[in-house]
Amino acid sequence: MRDVLRVFGPFSVWFACFSAVYGLHGLVCSERWSAAGLSLWDGRLALLAACIAAVSIQVGVALMLRAPRLAASSGFTQSVSLWLGWAAVVATLWSLFPVVVTSTCT
Amino acid sequence: MTPLRRHRALTRIWASDPGWKGWFTTVNHTDLGRMFMFTAMIFFVVGGILAMLIRAQLATPRSAFMGPEVYAQVFTMHGTIMMFLFAIPLIEGIAIYLLPKMLGARDLAFPRLTAFGYWCYVFGGSMLLFAMLTGLAPDSGWFLYPPLSSTLGSPGINSDFWLIGITFVEISAICAAVEITVTILRFRAPGMSLDKMPIFAWYMLVVALMILTGFPPLILGSVLLELERAFGWPFFQVAEGGDSLLWQHLFWLFGHPEVYIIFLPAAGIISTVLPVMARTTLMGYGWVVAAAVALGVLSFGIWVHHMFTTGIPHMALAFFSAASTLVAVPTAVQIFAWIGTIWKGKPQLKLPMLWILAFFATFVIGGLTGVMLAVVPFNWQAHDTHFVVAHLHYVLIGGFVFPVLAGLYYWLPHLTGRRRFFRLGEPAFWLVFVGFHVTFLAMHWVGLLGQRRRTFTYEHGQGWEAINLISSIGGFITAIGFALVLIDIAINALVTLRGRRNPWGAGTLEWAMPKPVPAYNFASLPPVRGREPLYDDPGLDLRIARGEGYLGDPGDGRRKTLVVDIASGRPEQVVVFPSNTALPIVMALVTGVAFLGVLIKAFWLVPLAVLGVAALAFRWVWSLGTRTDEGLLDAGHGLSLPLASASTRPPGWWGTAFLLVANATFFASLLFGYAFLWTVAPNWPPPAYLEPGLAGPALGLAGIVLAPLGLRLAERLLRAGHAMTPGLAIALTGAAATASAGVLAVLASADPQGHAYDAIVRVIAGYVLIHVVLAAAMSVYLAARRSAGFVSPDRYGEVRIVRLWTDYAAITALLGLAALHLPGALT
Repeated sequence: MRDVLRVFGPFSVWFACFSAVYGLHGLVCSERWSAAGLSLWDGRLALLAACIAAVSIQVGVALMLRAPRLAASSGFTQSVSLWLGWAAVVATLWSLFPVVVTSTCT
Repeated sequence: MTPLRRHRALTRIWASDPGWKGWFTTVNHTDLGRMFMFTAMIFFVVGGILAMLIRAQLATPRSAFMGPEVYAQVFTMHGTIMMFLFAIPLIEGIAIYLLPKMLGARDLAFPRLTAFGYWCYVFGGSMLLFAMLTGLAPDSGWFLYPPLSSTLGSPGINSDFWLIGITFVEISAICAAVEITVTILRFRAPGMSLDKMPIFAWYMLVVALMILTGFPPLILGSVLLELERAFGWPFFQVAEGGDSLLWQHLFWLFGHPEVYIIFLPAAGIISTVLPVMARTTLMGYGWVVAAAVALGVLSFGIWVHHMFTTGIPHMALAFFSAASTLVAVPTAVQIFAWIGTIWKGKPQLKLPMLWILAFFATFVIGGLTGVMLAVVPFNWQAHDTHFVVAHLHYVLIGGFVFPVLAGLYYWLPHLTGRRRFFRLGEPAFWLVFVGFHVTFLAMHWVGLLGQRRRTFTYEHGQGWEAINLISSIGGFITAIGFALVLIDIAINALVTLRGRRNPWGAGTLEWAMPKPVPAYNFASLPPVRGREPLYDDPGLDLRIARGEGYLGDPGDGRRKTLVVDIASGRPEQVVVFPSNTALPIVMALVTGVAFLGVLIKAFWLVPLAVLGVAALAFRWVWSLGTRTDEGLLDAGHGLSLPLASASTRPPGWWGTAFLLVANATFFASLLFGYAFLWTVAPNWPPPAYLEPGLAGPALGLAGIVLAPLGLRLAERLLRAGHAMTPGLAIALTGAAATASAGVLAVLASADPQGHAYDAIVRVIAGYVLIHVVLAAAMSVYLAARRSAGFVSPDRYGEVRIVRLWTDYAAITALLGLAALHLPGALT
């Protein structure tokens, strides 16, 4: 099962991080955020922090896939999961890029 | 034993019941795969006729052919049938028919589940057909947006037919997905490691996992909308704390992956058929696997691109626009791998190849218009116009129907055992290809000129008349082409001569068996050493027939196949399959009664039917396993293996695990819905949150700890040869405590019709209660199995299955309790 998890893991982590950042964005733009006494600037900072955390997690996953302790049982699944690990890092950078370039809640 | 005697002996063991009875009692994947495909084709014809009605209506302005009410039913049913009753079941049928043959197994992992899924599909689909024939068909569009589909916009029974019928059909999809996942992972030929799997199996593994995680949000949405329609629980009513956008989120969390659930199997067919047509092997197998996996998961992250016009902030638009453009990358990787395969091979322009070339031309256009729609400013202009309709048909017909027809013609000799003689297929191809592009290229144009979709007519003088007429003429040419394809397939299946075993010279295992296909697939299970076993070992088919593989001895007359290690394909267990039975169709019928009870508001029927299903499920699982420890069985090649029932993780454990993946997605979607309403919906907070008190959380937490501990103790006692009673008693006590906490939450909540919060509290508490009761029932079942001798210190796989359920129930109870009580505790 480890081989299957290695192959499906990286992009599943991407989806989890992407959804979490989107969820946080929804919260920042909701009345709940302002009711808690937080400003949009705080929201932007929170989103940036989440974004950095997401990229770090994704890089961590890609590095973990190289660890001998978690090695795949065949060269094939080892290579495929490594490609996917780094592709997921690029996907995270690309899909969360809007955090730094667009307005938050308009 | 001679090959002929082996064939006769195995046929006696594996064959379906003779005559008409066999249709209802078969559990054989070859029969059921064909039945799925045939039924899906019937729905395709119905959906196609509806498409022609739409084109007849739109051919001229101010047409009096249909009124708006009928038109609304026709386009809703066209979309619903094509998506839910044709495309997905056809994929299931193809996978059910092919996978065991390609993987070198004798059947799918859970043969009775295949049959149950088929009958759920037939009964659910029949409900929708009945609705259409009686003028009660759903009429709110195939994505059934509330409030148009709620009692405000659709007070009749029309939307209920959709919600009930489609949910019923989705049971079939979930069954098939569990089945396919476990089969691909564990029911392969000895030696078939993951890197030697046929590429189609990789695609279907991705698709099955997508079904398990993509369908539950829609099932949840359907449950919530039906609860709103039947009992007035206002999940989607803004005035009472609901939000209609919640439906859109739940629907598209399903709906976007659905597009890829349809496309990826078609891509799997291309990756299988194209190399054979090009007389070479697939270029970049590893890259294609990576691309399929990436595409499958990425497709979940782009659901909001269907909601670009709902007024969401720019940043959210940009997230989903960026993610949507990402999917072009793994799609392009596959396209380039296929072009490279053609480049390195010597392609032959046979009929399957013609359909593949049509796929290339069409799907690339559909993909590019998809990238256009992923760009927000363009999307705002084109949203809900015929441009979108044209785009989705380019993707779905170009990306699904054309490759499936390539596959159908490729595997026709396999399905029928006959060679193709009549050549109607070629003119049919040209009619479909030309007709399709005439229809839908024109439709892009009229969409850009502003024609809205789902509008039953239009006025003169808007510049749309000629384009619509051309589009309709193209539509009828396409329909004639498809009719010819069906006629071609039918006559070639019925009246031509017997064909050769491997007419295309392919390398995958499905071509290693005699034609017509025997019920047992392989006389002995082939050892596999490469990705293309028939290229690596040209005499393999004969050695299989001579019984030189594994399990070549028909032996004691039981239906046996091998279970292998996931990664390496090393044989690990021998599994014994159940024989023919009417249990699946009876259980599907009784399940249908529960759905019918909700549909016709005869709610008293529902608990009766649920009890019936529980009794049948009890009978279903009781017939599995053995009362004696059989030790090791001879699997051939000097290998002795235990029975699957004597292993710690039998196939049932894996099936349960993947079913729980779907279940967990359902629960996560429910928590997402709750969080969404809490964050975004107007008219929150509710008048009052649930007061937690002490009794409820304390009881719940005690139960959450006790139930899993009790099960672990029961297993330990069993393995030490003692009675399991103390452990099971602790588990049942835990379950009772957790159930009490759930009941207390329900009693403490306010009127669920008053606010969406109270309605969602009831749903979460109900979910936890159902799972706790199920886990408790399983513990009781386990005690009965122990006393009947089915469970022993050496055969405790069933305990592991119950443990899995109990752990799941405990985790969801913990999350449920937190969700119910935290808002009240924090305010």
